Amino acid sequence: MGDYGDWRAITPDEVLGYNEATQGYLCPHSANVYGIEFIEFKIRDLDSGAVLFNMRKPDDLVLPPPVEGDNSGRFVSYDFGAAFLRYKTIGTALTFSVGPEPVPNFRMIERHYFGDKLLKSFDFNFGFCIPNSTNSWEVIYEMPQLTPDEEAAMIAAPYHTKSDSFYFVNGELIMHNKAEYGFSAPDGASED
Amino acid sequence: MGLLSIIKQVKMQEKEMRILILGLDNAGKTTVVKKIKGEAIDTIEPTLGFNIETLTHDGFTLNVWDVGGQKTIRSYWRNYFEATDGLIWVVDSADALRLDTTRAELAALLAEERLFGASLLVLANKQDIAGAADADAIAAALGLVHSTAQPDADALAAADAESDAEPAAASSSSPAPSTGPTQVAAKRHWHIQPCSAHTGDGLLEGIDWIVKDIASRIYMFD
Ligand SMILES: Nc1nc2c(ncn2[C@@H]2O[C@H](COP(=O)(O)OP(=O)(O)O)[C@@H](O)[C@H]2O)c(=O)[nH]1
Ligand SMILES: [Mg+2]
Repeated sequence: MGDYGDWRAITPDEVLGYNEATQGYLCPHSANVYGIEFIEFKIRDLDSGAVLFNMRKPDDLVLPPPVEGDNSGRFVSYDFGAAFLRYKTIGTALTFSVGPEPVPNFRMIERHYFGDKLLKSFDFNFGFCIPNSTNSWEVIYEMPQLTPDEEAAMIAAPYHTKSDSFYFVNGELIMHNKAEYGFSAPDGASED
Repeated sequence: MGLLSIIKQVKMQEKEMRILILGLDNAGKTTVVKKIKGEAIDTIEPTLGFNIETLTHDGFTLNVWDVGGQKTIRSYWRNYFEATDGLIWVVDSADALRLDTTRAELAALLAEERLFGASLLVLANKQDIAGAADADAIAAALGLVHSTAQPDADALAAADAESDAEPAAASSSSPAPSTGPTQVAAKRHWHIQPCSAHTGDGLLEGIDWIVKDIASRIYMFD
């Protein structure tokens, strides 16, 4: 696949310097030589304890290997509703499994943008993952402080809020996932 | 200013602590963490890897690493020692048959150089079960105190010390790996807390001790 250029040369520092979502994906599916698979993703509002979003791969579902060029498996589009922007403290929990090889120095960098404004950047080092393990990670964070204008702009421009998740093993990019976010009004009244 | 104190200052500003929770499988490690977080504890499955949880306590953010304790994965524990500020060792106080194993595993951890600086909290869990050994009996069984003696004065003082920790206690001890847990424990900040992850009794007291103990060591640099 020539489309990805020299993706092995991409460093964590480089992606930490980005100030908007990338145009495409920076590495092929085949970069994921450790067989890392996402099993569950959950978002909670810490103040109420309510689960706002939960997506879990059924236990008996065996996904076919992804086909290069088909990015549907690494892209998610969410509509959280406008109320989402008003939560103060959010917990996001990710569960993933790893293949038969030990994974050294597993690191995730996730960047959220609205247009060219960086809303949030996570940089978390999982370190070592045990062969054939299933692991979970919940991070708790304060929602970015938005001005009323920014909030209105994000609601008015669905899916212009985007995130890139970059996963590195020993400093080498092995996965790149993307998401987009809409915040439509609960009753659909904001459509026009 | 030494590098160590710079690192400590950065940590202090971020107010982050790294806590490692270990113990044999079935001790109740995952239940302890979920209970503290106020989550459901009736659907917990054996941990076949790690669960990283974020807790906040006293204005500190705790990155809590709960790593599975099955025999087959204990050899991987060492991959999680680096930069650990506090070690929580969870014991099933009703599992008399495996007290020897839990003693041996803890002794091996306490001899680990990378954990020398970590505060040790022992949770004598499952106190709600009739016939569970009490905290004194667990401390003795783990070799943290001589079975005939009360917990030694140093350990008790360390447990009380909130603001004026002795620098020497945390950083200058270098017991030889061959010393038994009793000697190692004598130079370490440690505390044992009876608790039940089912009822929640004792959990916050335990967390409170370890957070204060770590904070007192980090805050002594300025
Ligand atoms: N009675 C009682 N059972 C407990 C307690 N804590 C945990 N358990 C049970 O012990 C079993 C193992 O718990 P788990 O958290 O998975 O242990 P881990 O392997 O150390 O993570 C589960 O069935 C728990 O419900 C407790 O304080 N009292
Ligand atoms: Mg567990």
